[in-house]
Amino acid sequence: MTGFVLRRVLAAVPIGLIVTLGVFALVFAMPGDPLRELAGDKPIPAAVLAAKRAQFHLDDPFIVQYLLSMKDILTGNFGTTFAGADIAAQLQLRIPVTLKLATMGLVIQWIAGLLFGLYAGFKRNGVVDRVLLLATLFILAVPLLVVYFAAQYVFGVELKWLPVSGIAHGYPLSYLLPAVCIGLTGFAGLARLTRTSIVETANADFVKTARAKGLGEQRILWGHVLPNALLPMVTYMGVEVGGIFAGALLAESIFNLPGLGQFMFQAIKLKEGGVVVLLSTLAFVMFIAINLLVDIVYGAIDPRVRNV
Amino acid sequence: MTSGEVLLKVDDLSVEFDTPHGRVRAVDGVSWQVRAGETLAILGESGSGKSVSTQALTGILEMPPGRIVSGTAKYRGEDLIAMSVKERRKIVGDRITMVFQDSLSALNPVQSVGKQIAECFRVHRGLSRSESMKRAAEMLDQVRIPAAAKRVHDYPHEFSGGMRQRVMLAMALALDPDVLIADEPTTALDVTVQAQILELIEDLQAERDMGVVLITHDLGVVSDVADNVVVMYAGHVVERAATAEALEHPVHPYTEGLLGSMPSADLKGQELPTIPGTPPSLRSIPSGCAFRTRCPHAIEDCAVLVPPLLTVAPGRDAACIRRTSIPAKEAV
Ligand SMILES: Nc1ncnc2c1ncn2[C@@H]1O[C@H](COP(=O)(O)OP(=O)(O)O)[C@@H](O)[C@H]1O
Ligand code: SF4
Ligand SMILES: [Mg+2]
Repeated sequence: MTGFVLRRVLAAVPIGLIVTLGVFALVFAMPGDPLRELAGDKPIPAAVLAAKRAQFHLDDPFIVQYLLSMKDILTGNFGTTFAGADIAAQLQLRIPVTLKLATMGLVIQWIAGLLFGLYAGFKRNGVVDRVLLLATLFILAVPLLVVYFAAQYVFGVELKWLPVSGIAHGYPLSYLLPAVCIGLTGFAGLARLTRTSIVETANADFVKTARAKGLGEQRILWGHVLPNALLPMVTYMGVEVGGIFAGALLAESIFNLPGLGQFMFQAIKLKEGGVVVLLSTLAFVMFIAINLLVDIVYGAIDPRVRNV
Repeated sequence: MTSGEVLLKVDDLSVEFDTPHGRVRAVDGVSWQVRAGETLAILGESGSGKSVSTQALTGILEMPPGRIVSGTAKYRGEDLIAMSVKERRKIVGDRITMVFQDSLSALNPVQSVGKQIAECFRVHRGLSRSESMKRAAEMLDQVRIPAAAKRVHDYPHEFSGGMRQRVMLAMALALDPDVLIADEPTTALDVTVQAQILELIEDLQAERDMGVVLITHDLGVVSDVADNVVVMYAGHVVERAATAEALEHPVHPYTEGLLGSMPSADLKGQELPTIPGTPPSLRSIPSGCAFRTRCPHAIEDCAVLVPPLLTVAPGRDAACIRRTSIPAKEAV
């Protein structure tokens, strides 16, 4: 197991380098000069400008800039933003915001997805099953952004049930609306998959065996159908964690929550390659960790893929 | 061998399916019985209704789309079909158990074999977890799986096909059932393993004085182990007899065709290929005798009525209007 984890992590290193290099190249290739954007209309003294350019290695070749950023990340010297903010302090403030939003969205998505999916699977062609199908089609058809803006308008502006934006009301109130949006846009997919997986598993031969053993329906459902139906669900839920974070990053900008997503948008706007690479590395490390976790969980419930 | 108590008696069992193309009758008026210590073979080509009939009477058939339209299946006089699901669960899985053809898909892939066997003890006997696991290991030992105490923790995919079928048997025999229904238990195995499994079933049966219903499409299996045989064609029982007699003097033209020109020494491993033509689809079963489109003895009258299963000699029944008694030369 330790060997398996080590191998996976090592294999991820070159991929991580390529991904971050690609992201850096994209930022580098963006039109405009980094420090100009920062200055706006105010003229900056030439000396200050030169000092800044030297500080952020902006006159070095592309690859040197990338390597220097990487070196800073790996040694933990995150430095400051162009504007002078301490990046380490920024991370400390912003990571909890994104984590809170994402976990809240995730919990909402999983609870709603599993509840509706299990119920629809157990009671095939019932009311819940049919409503779920409609809901899925609806959610698939409506773009994410529309959901965010509509929710913001209806529940924030019109009904005033929840804060429209910002973090002034703290956790959990300020997070509730975006988290519900994130959760709802993903729950239908999970519910449908859960439902399908259960219905398919219920037709398996070993379910017939279980019935021939004289087991009750509940025991067959929880003891035999569900553990097998879980397999595709775990994979899906793992992949969806990535989707949840993508949703959280977007939601932060719309609901004006000071998380990593907002940080990322600012950094891209200012062409701050170093910050973008740092955040991409963070995202990549998390992606690898989640995948690893999914594989470990999968191995725990399916003996056929153990000892990978 | 056939003097034991009648354990399971099936009478006039008919099963229909609702399909998108209409209603089809997969099992039509099937009757048979099995006694303690007896091995009854149900022989027939694929699709003749062997599995559907046994799964219907044990209540494990998906209903709907299936539906039992008539019949009784009495276990020691109690009708399984009429009783409630709850009552039936006390018999099916305890007193009457089943094994299936494909042991890989018939076992739960994510549960250790020990746990699956132990479940029988836990559910039907209320034994503790550890006691059940201990019994499960004993069962694996009884079906002659080497290193049973260790293998009890293994998963189905870690066993070979033959060993897995032994696991199925261990699970089916865990509670010392009165009747074992084995649905093509050796079809997926190669010939040597087949023989071992059949021998194992025979041994375990002798130890327990159990009735065995052995479903097969293999004449060799019938001649090897069955005391009596029920021949099915298109959902009907067409012949019922002691195995030796049926193989020696088949009465129904279908049974005759099955045996064909095969010398009995050559029966082993033979499928049932010798009759020209294919079994009718359930949606277009011929009127009258279902076999008439393939029967070399068919006459016009065969199309009129479904031939009833008649006693043609003591202990021998056949459903053919042209064979209502055993011809003198054969009835020696
Ligand atoms: N769910 C179902 N719906 C419709 N027809 C079915 C269904 N299950 C079985 N049948 C039909 O019933 C007939 C008997 O099947 P079966 O008992 O499995 O045959 P076998 O003798 O090979 O075990 C077959 O023709 C099959 O197509
Ligand atoms: S009833 Fe007629 S068709 Fe059917 S088996 Fe007898 S002779 Fe053949
Ligand atoms: Mg079958």
